[in-house]
Amino acid sequence: MSTGTITPYRSGQRPGRDDFPHLLRAEWTKFRTVRGWVIAMVAAALLTALAVVALAGFSSGSQNAGAHPRVAIGPGGEAVTDDFYFVRQSLDGNGSITARVASLDTVLPMPAGAPPHIAVPWAKAGIIITASTKPGSAYAAVLATPGHGVRMQYDYTHDLAGLPGPVSAASPRWLRLTRSGDIITGYDSADGKHWTEIGTARLAGLPSTVRAGLFVASPRLLVPNNSLTCRGASCSVGTPSQSFARNSADTPVNTEATAAFDHVSLRGQRKANGAGEVGTAWRGGQIGFPTGIPFICAPGRSCPGPPAGGFKTSGGTFTVAGSGDIAPYVTGVDPLGAILKGSLAGLLAVIALGALFMTAEYRRGLIRTTFAASPRRGRVLAAKAIVIGLVTFAAGLAGAAVALPVAEDKLRSGGWASSVYPAWSLTSAPGLQIVVGTAGLLAVAAILALSAGAVLRRSAGAIAAVVVLLIVPLILGFILPQGPADWLLRLTPAAAFGLQQGTPHYSQVTSVCEPINGCFPLPPWEGFAVLCGWAAVALGIAVFLLRRRDA
Amino acid sequence: MSPLRAEGAAFGEALRAEWTKLRTVPSTGWLLCTMIALTAGASTLATAVVKCPASCGEDTTKLSLTGILLGQAAVAVLAVLVMSGEYSSGMIRTTLAAVPRRATALAAKAVNLTGVVLAAGATATATSLVAARYILPGNGFTGARGSEALLLSAGPTLRAAGGSVLYLALIGLLSLGLATVLRDSGASIAAALGLLYIVPVLTGLGTLDPRWEHRLQEWGPMTAGLSIQATRDLKALPIGPWPGLGVLAGWAAAALLIGGLVLRLRDA
Repeated sequence: MSTGTITPYRSGQRPGRDDFPHLLRAEWTKFRTVRGWVIAMVAAALLTALAVVALAGFSSGSQNAGAHPRVAIGPGGEAVTDDFYFVRQSLDGNGSITARVASLDTVLPMPAGAPPHIAVPWAKAGIIITASTKPGSAYAAVLATPGHGVRMQYDYTHDLAGLPGPVSAASPRWLRLTRSGDIITGYDSADGKHWTEIGTARLAGLPSTVRAGLFVASPRLLVPNNSLTCRGASCSVGTPSQSFARNSADTPVNTEATAAFDHVSLRGQRKANGAGEVGTAWRGGQIGFPTGIPFICAPGRSCPGPPAGGFKTSGGTFTVAGSGDIAPYVTGVDPLGAILKGSLAGLLAVIALGALFMTAEYRRGLIRTTFAASPRRGRVLAAKAIVIGLVTFAAGLAGAAVALPVAEDKLRSGGWASSVYPAWSLTSAPGLQIVVGTAGLLAVAAILALSAGAVLRRSAGAIAAVVVLLIVPLILGFILPQGPADWLLRLTPAAAFGLQQGTPHYSQVTSVCEPINGCFPLPPWEGFAVLCGWAAVALGIAVFLLRRRDA
Repeated sequence: MSPLRAEGAAFGEALRAEWTKLRTVPSTGWLLCTMIALTAGASTLATAVVKCPASCGEDTTKLSLTGILLGQAAVAVLAVLVMSGEYSSGMIRTTLAAVPRRATALAAKAVNLTGVVLAAGATATATSLVAARYILPGNGFTGARGSEALLLSAGPTLRAAGGSVLYLALIGLLSLGLATVLRDSGASIAAALGLLYIVPVLTGLGTLDPRWEHRLQEWGPMTAGLSIQATRDLKALPIGPWPGLGVLAGWAAAALLIGGLVLRLRDA
């Protein structure tokens, strides 16, 4: 017997490489070679596209009063409200207009008696230069508001902030606009001596003769049912906090603003024109028409029309009263955002796939091979997340990019006015936000499901948990009162559905942002960040548990 | 002669076998506890945030049972696992060898599942209502200003509470039927939750053609079934409380029927 040294066994194979690109390739191979998963991913893209288009077919605008409101069309083709009391003269060529706003009050018009005060934060009193008195004309204005200080606004969608604070006799506001060719510059001042430039507006194609003058507007308030309370000479409106909003629609209520102007001066060449606006005489009148969905009057009740407005002068002081607004028109319904919820069908499929991409390894025992080949478990999970995220993103992008133009076309032929529900092209910023956002939403949801799968190791539990987190808040948002509903849609991953909003909201227009109207409390990309935050935390927990637990 | 009967086990024995399986799987207890916690927790939160001067017209009974919306997901998971869990572990072959009459095996599973869901559902519903009974008066729901005080002994409240328990049981049966057809737990739970949750999202947004919206609410398993919880404005409902629950029962029956048929025709 000899006890020679025994050479330990060595495999003839070279040691495997576990650098990250190879890990990615391994995970991609795992995904690609399961035929059911590839079919399911293609089905998710198809389901998304088909469901969105089908929903567009079932969304008839002819039955919906909100589908074709009365609006003016602004210079950019957008729907606008252009309805205000205008005291004006014609201005030929370059010139400037200056005025001091000494007071601004807003009231609730009454059929009889003294009208009570009501707060209208976005009532407007100021000076304006506009291409014509036709609704939807290009304009630039500097104006004082009760709730948002002095603003310079032009062409409806642009809004710049000037001096803060409300107008009062103790702190009047001096406003000035100068025209030089297509460029209009706005200034404000607290004392009429020291002027600050607020901004400049370029109004392309402004005619040489424009209208310049004083204007007053006070937008309608949206009043939730029975929330208007009056005490003495002032009224207030409750916060919109009705639950089951379908049963208690907000009622629009007309308001009227009255402003006193003095130190009014118009410099430049006046010109007589065919409409009889001659010389230096000021001429007043309500411009435009009440915008939006016409009031539906109960039979037998008198329907209050909008206040007529008016102006009078005494000793250089102009007292102007008016109602209406000069602003972009914001709709109360969002058909595009609603039909994009068809992507929920695809979302369910990718949540299931994301979870299965992890849990299937546990069921088959493949996870032990995976971890033997690549012992650094965090990197395995990262590779899986990248693979499932990218594949889902590509599928979602394809589905949404096909669905959007077809669905928009169907909506338009279904009776939704294209001015109010814009047909975003795929390359426009909102179009890109919708398409890329939908794809990103699907991709991050799949990663969240992957992490849930790694934590729970059971497909059914992981899928149900992610579905409940993502979809149930949308349903609760319709049921709960607005306050809690808004919090739910800020904190849960459902905030990311804000990416699918089809109608823009403007800070300078008071609109009720209710989940039932498809409006989300967070800006779209911040909502997406909430979803990403959830996915990041879930990935962190998954890595922690993967490292601690036996596979 | 073997003492085994050629007919296979009698229904009682199949029932006992299924009960043993259901009882000894850890996920059953976890899921039922999750269901009770989700239902009672979400119901209590919902009642705590709704205040009367703002929303006096609220249906307090329906509000107190809001959590069923979440709890049903746990019931669906339990029901799916009862069937697809056996497919993933291969246990189904043993089950069907012991109980060759496949309809009997499915029925035994359905009866056991219904039993535990009814018991847990009753606990969850009772907890939610009792919590609401203490919270709502403090939030202004005292019967004044057109609000409705929650009366636990009132007929409509009892109907809503009992109906919610039945609703959960029917959700369980619907999911069991789906899982019998699809066999894979991932596909089954995604299908079950999609069927439940997508319809109310679509009808809630209010841009669908009213006819289609009405039809979806009438025929969606969740929207129709949950009409059992309504106690106010019954005339405004798309479908009445009991007919609504009937629609859900129809869905569950159809899923079980197709599941039973497929189970007979297919190899395990």
